[in-house]
Amino acid sequence: MAAVHAPLGVDDLEKLVEKALSLGASYAEARYHSLGGHQVGIMNGRVFAAGTTMLSGVAVRVIVDGGLGFASTNRLTRDSLERVVAEAVSAARLSASTVKKSPVKMDDSPQGTARYSVYEKEPLSSIELADKIALIQERVKSADLSYEGIEVKGLTVFYEELTEEKVLVTSDGGMVEARIPRVSIFYNITAKNGSETRNRFYHIAWSGGLEGLDREDLREALEDDVRSLGIALVKARKGPKGEVDVVLSPELAGIAVHESIGHPSEADRILGREAAQAGLSYWREYKVGDRLGSEASTVIDDPTIPGTFGFYLYDDEAVPARPRYLLLEGRIWEMLQNRETAAVYGVRSNGAARARDYKSEPIVRMANTYFAPGDYTFEELVEDVKEGVYIKKFMEWNIDDYRWGARYVGLEAYEIRNGRLGDPLKDVVLEITSPRFYSSVDAAARDLKLYPGFCGKGEPMQGVPVTMGGPHIRLRGVVVR
Amino acid sequence: MVLDEIAEAVEKRIRSLEGKVDEYIITVEEVSNRMLKLANGEASVTQNWRTIEVGLYLARRDGRIFYTGLSAHDPEKAAAEAARLVEAVEPSPLYAPLPRADGESYSNVDPKIKAYLEGDIQLDLAGDLELDLVGTAAGMAELGYVRRLFLNSHGDRLTGERTWFKGYMRVFRGDRTGQWSWTGVNYDNGERARKAIQVARGLAEECEKLPLEKIEPGEYRVLLSPMIAGNLVNEVLFAASAARLIFAMTWIKPEMLGQRVVSDKLTIIDAPRRKDLPEYTLHDAEGVKTRDKPVIAEGVLQTLLHNTKTAKLMGTETTGNAGLIMPEPFNIIVEPGDLGEEEQLEALGEGIYVTNNWYTRYQNYVEGTFSTVSRDAVILVKNGKPSACLNRIRITGKIQELFANVEAVGKTRWPMEWWEVPKPTLTPHILISKTKISLPTI
Repeated sequence: MAAVHAPLGVDDLEKLVEKALSLGASYAEARYHSLGGHQVGIMNGRVFAAGTTMLSGVAVRVIVDGGLGFASTNRLTRDSLERVVAEAVSAARLSASTVKKSPVKMDDSPQGTARYSVYEKEPLSSIELADKIALIQERVKSADLSYEGIEVKGLTVFYEELTEEKVLVTSDGGMVEARIPRVSIFYNITAKNGSETRNRFYHIAWSGGLEGLDREDLREALEDDVRSLGIALVKARKGPKGEVDVVLSPELAGIAVHESIGHPSEADRILGREAAQAGLSYWREYKVGDRLGSEASTVIDDPTIPGTFGFYLYDDEAVPARPRYLLLEGRIWEMLQNRETAAVYGVRSNGAARARDYKSEPIVRMANTYFAPGDYTFEELVEDVKEGVYIKKFMEWNIDDYRWGARYVGLEAYEIRNGRLGDPLKDVVLEITSPRFYSSVDAAARDLKLYPGFCGKGEPMQGVPVTMGGPHIRLRGVVVR
Repeated sequence: MVLDEIAEAVEKRIRSLEGKVDEYIITVEEVSNRMLKLANGEASVTQNWRTIEVGLYLARRDGRIFYTGLSAHDPEKAAAEAARLVEAVEPSPLYAPLPRADGESYSNVDPKIKAYLEGDIQLDLAGDLELDLVGTAAGMAELGYVRRLFLNSHGDRLTGERTWFKGYMRVFRGDRTGQWSWTGVNYDNGERARKAIQVARGLAEECEKLPLEKIEPGEYRVLLSPMIAGNLVNEVLFAASAARLIFAMTWIKPEMLGQRVVSDKLTIIDAPRRKDLPEYTLHDAEGVKTRDKPVIAEGVLQTLLHNTKTAKLMGTETTGNAGLIMPEPFNIIVEPGDLGEEEQLEALGEGIYVTNNWYTRYQNYVEGTFSTVSRDAVILVKNGKPSACLNRIRITGKIQELFANVEAVGKTRWPMEWWEVPKPTLTPHILISKTKISLPTI
């Protein structure tokens, strides 16, 4: 197992925790956290820039008199480290001066003592940056980006590898060392037919080493997206409007569960802690066990899926990770909790505390969120639709800050008529409330695909790696425009 | 002097790698900031940061370029590694010879903020916000100070320092809310913050008094508050970055220069030299002198935002808008119009007053097709008076068409900066006709 190459070890961090306790903290944690790696940008086949990122430093979080304080620094001298502890305590005292109703405390979750590392079959450090660039270039250049009737106006590809290393010590006995390398490839491709254009953004990512380059086919993704752009620009026509049955692809199911189940299930959001930033949650109006959707609707968030972009085994409060059943057969089942929110609800944390980097406090986050597969095939979902729409890929999406009303605009979509896929449709809009969405699902296919992304939340904004996905799912009687 | 020591050590390492790097920029920033974050009327956390950030730009005359962002404890080692890696890349189509740093050093500091962050004085941040009077509220208030040192391979050296006090508050009255933000360079004992909180509170209370109504999707006249106007004018100025054009991520095209792209009532300025806004700077990330300039003047596109690289590629001059990698705006200013705040609802007549938004997303960057979702108070106005509160609505369409339909621009401007207004933005309300509103199916 590759070791965590941290300039501060468990012993050093324990001293910081002890110092915080001696200054009056009832709880303290200290985390060394680094993120480092390379980026490369390729524009229309040419490298336009490359770079390195290295973020590393220490975060200290404490509770004093029911107030929560956080401080961080990247100066690792003895004076700086002593100062960061004192500033965390001082910050907590400032918080405490305003707290009258809800003093912060931690739950009694078991604390992990563990050391783990994601296996890299082909380590990121095994080849030089120039060779990595060549590997990416080879895949980009070999892609056939032609489609009759369209002109590809631009293709920008970004490659990024970041290895995350953490050493965490808590005053409740938690002690975790973790090393997670991750690779991301993003691209933006723009195509034109006459005066009409379409963009497609796509993201391929995983945790692990360079072996993922063979598993995740960049060339195939590019070619498939050019086909989608071509279909949208050349063949698609305006489709039916009104109430129809809709089949959604794993890509659409994924963005939907992330936005309209994953985010609203975050306990800190439900409690109002993110009210002025990421917003509130319609789950405030429900309690565990309440029916939200149909029996076909089960949504799981699971950080422990190997190789995924959202993978981890212990969270940033040293709580062991496990699968969370957010929605079980249509019923609200479990919120995502960290130790602070779990203490409020009188439950135990389910290991959802994540911090992006050493400058970030751990807050409640998703990991790998997906709609659970059912028993159908895609063909069976379609063949039972008399009049409907299949949305395969999307362009625009957004959702309100209560996570109630979402909008998805299709890039590639098809008419369904009498159980068969028909003509491609242009700019299909599905604008729907979350309860209506999950109440309308009557069947899910057996297939399952996860899509990576960065999820934003917190103040300052923290973008953490996640995945989202699902099988093909069918919604009965929903309005499209 | 920590900054000098780090910069000199990094420079020494780069120079020791003779022949590997021909040009370089080293920036070292010492940042300290403290943020009080509030939820349910109490502090949910207070956060404190004290960091040294190092930015490196390394290039060879054959066009290879390499960027490094270090927020780390060992910048010298990382600098040496970066210098080694310059060889790994091929010559870039974006390369341009390193310009001389003709910008100036600057200081735009409130000594009170600096002293507070150094621990030399105390400020009653929580007390100055008068949280006890607000009732249930969530938001944040942040004080910050940054000191920077710029060096380049021409031997140019510049310094800069600035402070900020910014934040936003969402006030709750039952399930009705209002939100407003503030930004500035000095700590005014919380005066701007209290004023913003008062507006947020007023909006929540206004909505609390009104019945809840539903509307049908369609075209409406809308009054955009400085919160949402701020978000959308940020979108416009980021769309004017030449990098967006190069990456096919904007509706703005070079042939639009000198052409009317939005209503003639709209003038939007990039204002790095505006001293009362936090992104004040007299030099950009390439050391080039900054200048205030209208990007859109009376509806006509005046310029794109360039650094020397995008300028060379497009056959023009830098506008002094370099970030370390991409050109971007600094402070954004919307020129005031003649619509007074007391008469704006009357001017709206029949329409919707949208006070805040989030999640602006593009269906198509090249065509400017987007949607954005309202949050907080959305007030239906009839006969020039508030008649009902609405649930969340969505504004859809093309951003350039939205701004082509500006009917009036407000007189009073507000300094805004928050999650959805990433650059400090001084903007009034904006009244727009024929705005497409869509709603989800219940």
